[in-house]
Amino acid sequence: MTKLLEIENLHARIGDNEILKGLDLSVGAGEIHAIMGPNGAGKSTLSKVLAGAEDYVVTSGTIRYQGQDIAEQSAEQRAAHGIFMGFQYPVEIPGVSNMMFLKAAVNAQRKERGEPEMAANDFLAWVRHRVKQMKMDPAMLSRGVNQGFSGGEKKRNEILQMLVLEPKLMVLDETDSGLDIDALKIVSDGINAMRSPERATILVTHYQRLLDYVQPDFVHVLAAGRIVKSGGPELARELEEKGYGWLQAA
Amino acid sequence: MSDIHASWGEAFARFAGGLPAVDHAARSAAFDEFIQHGMPDDAIERWHYTDLSAFPKKPVQLATAAALGGYARWQLSGCDERIWLNARNVAGASSATASLPSLDAHAGIAGLHRAFAQPGLQLDVGPGTALARPVHALTVTTADADGEMTHLAHRISLARGAAATVILQNVGLPGATRFSTQSLTVELAEQAQLTLIRVQDESRSTTQWLQTDVNVGRDARFQLVNVDLGGKLIRNDWRVKLTGPGASTELAGLFAADARVHLDNQYEIDHIAPHGTSHQYFRGLGFGPSKAVLNGRVVVRPGAQKTDSEQRIANLMLAKGAEIDAKPELEIYADDVKCAHGASCGQLDDTAVFYLRTRGVPETQARALLTYSFINSVLERIAHAGLRTRIARQVTALLGADLDFDAIGDLS
Repeated sequence: MTKLLEIENLHARIGDNEILKGLDLSVGAGEIHAIMGPNGAGKSTLSKVLAGAEDYVVTSGTIRYQGQDIAEQSAEQRAAHGIFMGFQYPVEIPGVSNMMFLKAAVNAQRKERGEPEMAANDFLAWVRHRVKQMKMDPAMLSRGVNQGFSGGEKKRNEILQMLVLEPKLMVLDETDSGLDIDALKIVSDGINAMRSPERATILVTHYQRLLDYVQPDFVHVLAAGRIVKSGGPELARELEEKGYGWLQAA
Repeated sequence: MSDIHASWGEAFARFAGGLPAVDHAARSAAFDEFIQHGMPDDAIERWHYTDLSAFPKKPVQLATAAALGGYARWQLSGCDERIWLNARNVAGASSATASLPSLDAHAGIAGLHRAFAQPGLQLDVGPGTALARPVHALTVTTADADGEMTHLAHRISLARGAAATVILQNVGLPGATRFSTQSLTVELAEQAQLTLIRVQDESRSTTQWLQTDVNVGRDARFQLVNVDLGGKLIRNDWRVKLTGPGASTELAGLFAADARVHLDNQYEIDHIAPHGTSHQYFRGLGFGPSKAVLNGRVVVRPGAQKTDSEQRIANLMLAKGAEIDAKPELEIYADDVKCAHGASCGQLDDTAVFYLRTRGVPETQARALLTYSFINSVLERIAHAGLRTRIARQVTALLGADLDFDAIGDLS
């Protein structure tokens, strides 16, 4: 069966700096993969390249999503076809309300997919349902996107957007950083709620902590631009004990 | 001299022919001032960026007050409407006569304005009275022939403790090249409060000069939001004098310069009395080959102790060929004051554009949303939702986007 995501020998650079150096990764529908690794290994680059960031140049290798090479697809096309990236540092957009933002996003995606716009009332009900699920104050919908939000609130807002947009492949870049234990629990619940046989999640993380709440099926170590080791959940615990040094040396 | 020179004389003779004798003398003197001093040139400090000495290039004539349709689309809900078509009052009460304004401006262009000035908005609000609805003064111009001109003098006077909101909207229908001058004289007595929202949306063939002189009395407040969206060559002079102790002012501005427009805003705040407060808050957008000038001058006189003044200018360059000259000027002659200023010029944040695109928002719309975000801090000072949305729509349309601003209202 076709994998949801298949990355082969991916090389990517920003400017003259090659960050990804022959990365292979295969993610099947229904799976949760954790990608761990030291700082500077290329974790964030992988997330951005998957999401379609134009400042990174893919020099060789392929990314196949739902069986198709997505090299030529823009970030917005990838989003419409179900790729979602959760940002490590979500952007503040003062004056653009969360509601306006979500509506623009949902309707743009539907348009790209050739679907009609959602009726205003249905949309509002849908968003409110997701806000409740994330234990957020509905009043946040009329506030600017991430405007004056704490680090934890911003991450929660990322997951809210994910729940509203219902993507197929979720790439969450250090979503657990900056979260206190209560927020980590809510964020994890949000991620788990999206778990389904058709969807897959890639958790890019530095720490084991998140993985206590979201059970990964596979754990990979990314070092110097490549996946250097893969295993099950036990690998995360091993990394927590030993650090990354033993792998880089290998 | 030239046809142009002769055309001024002919226009004035025709205009003056219909004037009462008493007006005639004052206007003739003003016209002589204009002939003597001519148009301002760039040798004058205040006119450094805008030289009108070669203007106009074609003969002038007063605009004929033709009946115009199609202005209903600019009317605003919930407002007291006053409308002028080619300087002729067609709706809302306005006195037919008005005294000539005295302007703190270049003698030549001030003379020209005084010579031809026709009564615009004349608003007097009595002591302690707060107007329930905003006054919407809408001026619409058209031009069938090149060189048509209009000259309107507005006056607002608020007595002690009075409060009002005035929306002055200048729009122009497409057509031939035209020229206009406008003056606005504002007197705010003790504790009076005026909010002035000015929207300039002139045609792409309009040259316009506006001068606003404001006197802010003891504990009175003047709040301005100026929005420049159109025109060909636009020059706005704003002179705010804080003459009474505790007087305050907030000047906010937003401009969208595109399509070879030349846009020059000169703001000047004069702190004359102590305990005055002035805040200036400007956002500029450079859309294309255009030149925008923003000069913000603050003078703190020797007696104006405990003055608190702040100026923030931020500009966003959205296209090649855009030029924005932002210049803060501070002149402080008192020692116990607090004055701050800052100016910046930048481009849209690539990370923010990418963020929106990863949510499925196409690049054009993403850039428009971020531009809207950039100007929102000025827009939100406009206390009329319909007007605010209209401006937002018009500005973001310059980026080729059609945003759903109604989504904001979904929660109310």
